[in-house]
Amino acid sequence: MFVKKKSLWLFLLPGLLGLMVFHLVPFIGGIYYSLTDGTVNNNLVWFQNYQRVWANAAFQQGLRNSLELSLLSTPLIFLFSFILAIMLKSLRERSLPYRNILLMPYLVPSSALLIIWMVLFDYGGIVNRLVTALGFERVMWLESGALRVPIILLYVWKNVGFSVVIFSAALQSVPDEFYEYAALEGAGPVRQARSITLPLIMPTAFLVFVLAWVNAFKIFKEVYFIGGAYPRDEVYTLQHFMNNRFAKLEYQDVTTAAYSFALIVMVFFAMIYMRKGVRGVDRH
Amino acid sequence: MIGIKAHRRRKTGRVISTLVLVIICALTLLPLILTFLYSFFPMSEMKAFLATRNSYDQTRFMDILLAPSIVSLRQYYDLLIDKPVYLSLFMNSVKYTVAILAGQIIFIPTLAYALSRFRFRGREAIFFMVMMLMLLPFQVTMAPSVLTMRTLGLMNTPWAVILPMMFAPFYIFLMRQFMVGIPPDMIEAALIDGAGTVRSFFHVILPLSKPILGAAAALSFADCWNMVEQPLIYLANQQNAMPLSVMFNSLSSSEQGVIFASAALYIMPALLIYSYFQEDILLGIQLSDMK
Repeated sequence: MFVKKKSLWLFLLPGLLGLMVFHLVPFIGGIYYSLTDGTVNNNLVWFQNYQRVWANAAFQQGLRNSLELSLLSTPLIFLFSFILAIMLKSLRERSLPYRNILLMPYLVPSSALLIIWMVLFDYGGIVNRLVTALGFERVMWLESGALRVPIILLYVWKNVGFSVVIFSAALQSVPDEFYEYAALEGAGPVRQARSITLPLIMPTAFLVFVLAWVNAFKIFKEVYFIGGAYPRDEVYTLQHFMNNRFAKLEYQDVTTAAYSFALIVMVFFAMIYMRKGVRGVDRH
Repeated sequence: MIGIKAHRRRKTGRVISTLVLVIICALTLLPLILTFLYSFFPMSEMKAFLATRNSYDQTRFMDILLAPSIVSLRQYYDLLIDKPVYLSLFMNSVKYTVAILAGQIIFIPTLAYALSRFRFRGREAIFFMVMMLMLLPFQVTMAPSVLTMRTLGLMNTPWAVILPMMFAPFYIFLMRQFMVGIPPDMIEAALIDGAGTVRSFFHVILPLSKPILGAAAALSFADCWNMVEQPLIYLANQQNAMPLSVMFNSLSSSEQGVIFASAALYIMPALLIYSYFQEDILLGIQLSDMK
């Protein structure tokens, strides 16, 4: 660790300056924005904006949907990637091609995938063929509240690989002897996952969970591509509200909604950071 | 003598794992394979196929097309040669991506180096800020960012899209977590040989960080290649300066016949980058402190 080196500034300043100007200043400026009335004088109105925005039905709808969509997709990604990572580990070096395939969608632009998604989920599409083959009624995936299903699936399809990679990295650090010993003692694979794997990779699991959750709030591009700026009520997210208000130049509403939302993100963030702090103490 | 039973159980476990993984990987690849497959269909056949969508006739399904009546490159020809719009938007995407990545390679490793190998007051505060900013969706700072860009006179120029992405907090976080994990002895050895902070950055830290540099480059490429929100906001008045990612949908909805070829062409660079860097992504994340 370098202490009191002049060269620190050489490395620190350029990046820090950019970070300040393009990310931190807008962030802090936004707080001011959300507390003023947006007239020429920019009077301070404190929490009036918040009261107005929170009472807005579209805002409430967007918030509810954003929360629900993330509550649906986060556990899916978390569980699914955990199970896949355990399966990959059991295959050892032969797992590489699978891992590469699973991560591939993460790099693929979702807008390019949209058309094939629409074809698959069309009323007469392959998905509905499967549904009827299983003996159910066809579903209007793209025209009803069921639109959430293709959107969440597109999101999971795209993002599960990244969580798998993080989980796999954590699993690598669990010694094989633990499993051999557990197997000797008669523990089955589920018991092993619960009693050895999960506790040992807990910190990573936590990160995966938080990242998956926060990213699920960003489930917007996918909805925007399928439903446009004013999609069905069931998939109208908070970002739609913000973007539409933005288009109407109602910056106060945009930032107020944004910071109400940021508050939720901050709670998660505080959770990670507190954990870090606690673990730091443990080490000493 | 680890019990034959346990051994056998592990073997069946592996068979089940392989089976499940094969199925899931097949499902993962299916949309990509179909997109590429359909891009080689003749335009008329594809148009007819897409026209059968949105029919609510209970008795009929869309056909499952698996082979074209004749393998055709017509879609690609139409896109690349007949209509210059697509190619010019594609080149816009390339320009944005290259500019952003070039900036990131200068600013991000240096900042990560400062945050991981130097001890100074305020270091924790800066890292705190990076993590906080990384978790926020773009919309949170959207309106004040526009004001910032206007003040700087960058609104409606490509720089408004490029500059903020050069300092993307997520990659600062990623790279810092990797550099923190580099064993101190490596640097100490360099210091004993008389290297300063600058030389140890170029000759020790950067070469050792190769996997995370590759990983960050690939992930960041995907971000730039797919960006939608930023150009929509910052380039509001300039259709010609938009990257393909923004225009893709409006472009493709009017051109049903070539839609799959344009999707395939759009996906291709991402897949090429991915296949080049995939080992780096796995290794880079594995060696980073992801806790």
